Amino acid sequence: MPNAYVIVGASLAGATAAVTLRQEGADGTITLIGAEKKPPYERPPLSKAYLRGETPFENALVRPPAFYAEEGIETIFGCRALRIDASGRVVELDDGRRVPFDRLLIATGGRNRRFSVAGADLDGIYSLRTVQDADRIRMETTAGRRVVVVGMGFIGSEVAASLRQKDLDVVAIEPSKTPLARVLGEDVGQCLADLHRAHGVRTVFEDTVVAFEGTSRVERVLTKGGRRLDCDFVVVGIGIDPVVDVLDGSGIHVDNGVLVDEYCQTNVSGIYAAGDVANHYHPLFKRRIRVEHWQNAIKQGTAAARNMLGRHVAYDEVHWFWSDQYDANLQYAGFHSAWEQLVVRGRLGSDGFLACYVNEGRIDAAVALNRAKDLRRVMPLIKARRPVDLDQLRDESVDLRSLLASS
Amino acid sequence: MAEFATAIRTNEVPVGGITAVDVNGRRIAVTNVGGNYYAFDDECTHEQCSLAEYGEMAGTTLTCTCHGSEFDVATGRVLAPPAQTPLTVYRTLVEGDALKIEV
Repeated sequence: MPNAYVIVGASLAGATAAVTLRQEGADGTITLIGAEKKPPYERPPLSKAYLRGETPFENALVRPPAFYAEEGIETIFGCRALRIDASGRVVELDDGRRVPFDRLLIATGGRNRRFSVAGADLDGIYSLRTVQDADRIRMETTAGRRVVVVGMGFIGSEVAASLRQKDLDVVAIEPSKTPLARVLGEDVGQCLADLHRAHGVRTVFEDTVVAFEGTSRVERVLTKGGRRLDCDFVVVGIGIDPVVDVLDGSGIHVDNGVLVDEYCQTNVSGIYAAGDVANHYHPLFKRRIRVEHWQNAIKQGTAAARNMLGRHVAYDEVHWFWSDQYDANLQYAGFHSAWEQLVVRGRLGSDGFLACYVNEGRIDAAVALNRAKDLRRVMPLIKARRPVDLDQLRDESVDLRSLLASS
Repeated sequence: MAEFATAIRTNEVPVGGITAVDVNGRRIAVTNVGGNYYAFDDECTHEQCSLAEYGEMAGTTLTCTCHGSEFDVATGRVLAPPAQTPLTVYRTLVEGDALKIEV
């Protein structure tokens, strides 16, 4: 029986795995190692309610700080894992400690991509990943100040929304034609662009930042299209890269994250990965997928722990996430890259709709704006991987729950 | 002192449906699981979505479709995050076609 379970990354995935290991019968030591000093916390509030000052940090904690000691989970916080010796079965930490393991989980998450243009090291330019990042942005958040948000992916869009809700003057700049164009397509993206404009964000699409200017602090943003956007501060949200440097030389396979099979296991027996860092084989979609969202961190952290306990359970969750912007609730489920048809229930617009990404008559994924129930009801259809009647899918008088039986 | 107050007619709460009513100034949601009635606060403990509007029932499991929190409507227990705080639940009593809720 293995008796030393070690988790590198005190993330939501890592902490959830530690809790699962303990609750589901791990009979040995559990050690949770994290680079941040704070106990594990959830990140969704950082761009929303926490950023707006509406909820305390404590509400974002995965478990109360005392939980880990009470449950016999050893924690090493504020300490970075430098290297994994996969054959010697040891994790080396930056303070010189060596932590031996029998089973190891890699849950190191991601780090924000650096935006390397002239002036990127000026003060007043932020990105958002940690609570410390959120605190820095909050310090700048005063009504009437001018912010430029660079990138309108999920984080950029949510930050733009939260800062508008705090009555800042927000300009958002995005190289694509709409927010989230690459993920959701331009038709859906246009609805989100309308939503932001309706709330007073000045949007700039199809243009990119080429430089930040200022004497010590950023004072303006220069774009390829020749715009000069005066500002008091900047938030950059251009995506994350998986944190895999700890695996250098380990022999563990890496390609857009840590490669794992449907049991969350790497090519090295007894070493697993979960959360943002894990590029996992998905048995439903029959391909590798890396997902950077809350639900995956919890569900995959749980699944990895169960496999570490020898249960051999495939992780086949239909990925799902939400993004609240202003009073709008955006949700997505499934997985798609290309699509043959976008089948819409309701009417595309900023009021609300369900849009399904369809290939060969199957729903691969769906996005809903203010249609939370519809999204929830379409998830079993995504999971079924069978063609559905697209006319019925469009027909608002048809209960989505009845489509599963008829598909 | 808690007491049973008539809230609604049983035929106004279809099986699997969730209806919100005001009882003594509180917004309370009522559902019908195979002829058994359950009552609970209409507001999700996570981010205050109306459960009558956004809730989905499967057996006694209530999913708030806003953010995916799950509760057991018999006990109020949280079955799945992001909610951390249990849902306040109320006892129900059927008298004739009147559904009474203890508040």
